[in-house]
Amino acid sequence: MLPAVTVDDEKCKEPASCRKCLLICPTHVLGLGTDVGAQKFREIDPSHFIVRPVRLDKCSGCMDCVEVCPQNAIQVSFSGGDAR
Amino acid sequence: MCDWCEKYGDGYERWYFNPANYARRLYKIRREEAEASGADANPQSAGGMAVVGHDFLEARDRGDTAEVERMKQQVEGAMWLTHFGQVITLEEALKITDIMYPICLITCACRRSMEGLPDEENFTCMGMGPGMYKWERWPDTYRGGVHFLTPDEAKEVLNKLDKRGLVHSIYTFGTPYLGGLCNCDYPDCAAIRTVVDLDVKILWKGHYVAKIDPEMCNGCASCVHRCQFRALSFIPSRNKAYIDQFQCFGCGLCVSECDQDAITLVERTSLPALANVW
Repeated sequence: MLPAVTVDDEKCKEPASCRKCLLICPTHVLGLGTDVGAQKFREIDPSHFIVRPVRLDKCSGCMDCVEVCPQNAIQVSFSGGDAR
Repeated sequence: MCDWCEKYGDGYERWYFNPANYARRLYKIRREEAEASGADANPQSAGGMAVVGHDFLEARDRGDTAEVERMKQQVEGAMWLTHFGQVITLEEALKITDIMYPICLITCACRRSMEGLPDEENFTCMGMGPGMYKWERWPDTYRGGVHFLTPDEAKEVLNKLDKRGLVHSIYTFGTPYLGGLCNCDYPDCAAIRTVVDLDVKILWKGHYVAKIDPEMCNGCASCVHRCQFRALSFIPSRNKAYIDQFQCFGCGLCVSECDQDAITLVERTSLPALANVW
């Protein structure tokens, strides 16, 4: 069963310098992206980096990312009403 | 012969030994093609984030094999036109540094994404060809800057990265334009994890397959950690390493680690059952 992993971008401001969740995840589920896409001729402002689940199929539900986040920005849920 | 050698080899032993595939003419063509196909030509978009979407993982999770197969073919078809890779050996990588120029050391987009690795710890990737002269257009793709290397410096870097256990592979940016020489590991490399975990072939197996001589293997198991493709394991009851040749990508990292010379690379096409397993 796939979990729902959500990151509140309002709370998670500078994930590229924090990166605690990226490093603690035992199965490397989370990844860093941007909400602006590729920018020609300029660097992307750190505030545009976002954390998203990339390898949801590898999430075991250990909740380490939820606990390590200093902003309480991550939620992991396995409910979803799926009987499987 | 692999499909790509057949299509783009032009008489050379491998398609990535054909200098034309690194040439400027192709680089120009690929921009139009990539844009026409709606693909973003910027390498960053193909880097660290997922190659397949949430839909794919959901279809796979609910066991919808027909839908998984359909999506897989769709992704592979698009990626083979724009951005895919093939595993090469260290020797092949070294040879490439002599047939094309320029070659640059750059930061790895995948590890930047999956580990948030700071630039100074992340110089493991190589960009090649005329596209590199325009790197400043994409400051975020080339975070940390670009180091132009002489062929000898490039060889030194490749040897070091090989020692660290990173797999070498060659990547297209608008096929057959070859613009990347990556040095990767599981699971942070988007290509390796996508092919190993999800069987979506955006990284092709190389032209070799590793083979163990059980007489010569002394059971030290030092090779086992070198495999990034889950092809190498250990048989405790026989005290020997074991290679699943159908899973082997032919990178050769296990070969160089074996001080008994018990592992050799054989031509994939010399093995009837593996000749078409790419």
